[in-house]
Amino acid sequence: MKIIVPVIGLCVGILLGIKSGIVLPYAMMAYGGVGILACLDTVLGGVRADMEHQFQMRIFVSGFFINGIVAIGLVWLGKQLNMDLSIAAIVVFGSRIFL
Amino acid sequence: MKPKGIIPGITALCAILGMLIGVQYNTVQSQAASAAGTDNMRLTELSAELRKEQEEKEALEKQLDKQAELLATYEAGESDGAALESLQKENEKLRAFAGLSEQTGAGIIVTMDDSDKDMGGDKNAYLVHAEDILKVVNELFVAGAEAVSVNGQRIVAQSGITCAGSVITVNGVRVAAPFEIKAIGDASVLQAALRFPGGVVDTLSPWGIVIDIREEASVTVPAYTQSALWKTTEEGEDAS
Repeated sequence: MKIIVPVIGLCVGILLGIKSGIVLPYAMMAYGGVGILACLDTVLGGVRADMEHQFQMRIFVSGFFINGIVAIGLVWLGKQLNMDLSIAAIVVFGSRIFL
Repeated sequence: MKPKGIIPGITALCAILGMLIGVQYNTVQSQAASAAGTDNMRLTELSAELRKEQEEKEALEKQLDKQAELLATYEAGESDGAALESLQKENEKLRAFAGLSEQTGAGIIVTMDDSDKDMGGDKNAYLVHAEDILKVVNELFVAGAEAVSVNGQRIVAQSGITCAGSVITVNGVRVAAPFEIKAIGDASVLQAALRFPGGVVDTLSPWGIVIDIREEASVTVPAYTQSALWKTTEEGEDAS
């Protein structure tokens, strides 16, 4: 029962995002994608932590933002170094999500 | 705190995540929609390419104009060349007429030699004289010879055949018997001009002077080799 509320929240968020009509610049697309991946990782990590009864709100919230910021920072660094570090972020977060 | 705090927090974060996803979706959609899959960068790239191509086309058109102009010049030059060619032909013809170029054609070769007879009287009568050669040459020209030479000396307007003591000079060059007179022209007419009764052959043969006339399919008459430098005639009047 309690799992349904965050899902509703997610759906509302998606609708809000689409309805907002906000369009990121082309150059920001890579950041957005990686940011989403990082946040998704955090959320799923939170769910897992909750299942393991180790969930801590502080870690979850801080993890959410720090993950996102770090992922975006990583992509930015990759752009400065002309190196596609977004792939590294995708691999890391993807493996964390699915493993 | 625990069960209560989890749900709003996760929900809030999920909402944020959802918004991110929604915005990203918007972005991807707008990018896909704009210019049928081609983005603005591509568009500017294409317009730049178009501009470049147009510039290139203009440059090529300019080049074409230039080439056409050049072609026109060449054509004009060609007509000049044709004029030059006709002038050169004219020049060649005039040189041939003046005897300044070697000529080859059908004709006759007349060989005259001193008589080996001695029937008494004046010995001079048995020799070939300048007048004899002059007569032959004159007859040949009258018969329409186009080029005549005596012992390799081309007979031209300035040519003189004269007796200087015991030798004969043609064009100021000493020549001696046997005399070989080459003439280009209608061989039969030339021969007839020499052989007609009372003609050169007729008058000289009684003295034993050898006159041999041969028809040749190809006779080569050399060019006049003496200097054509005129010292007295003033140029410009009728010099050309």
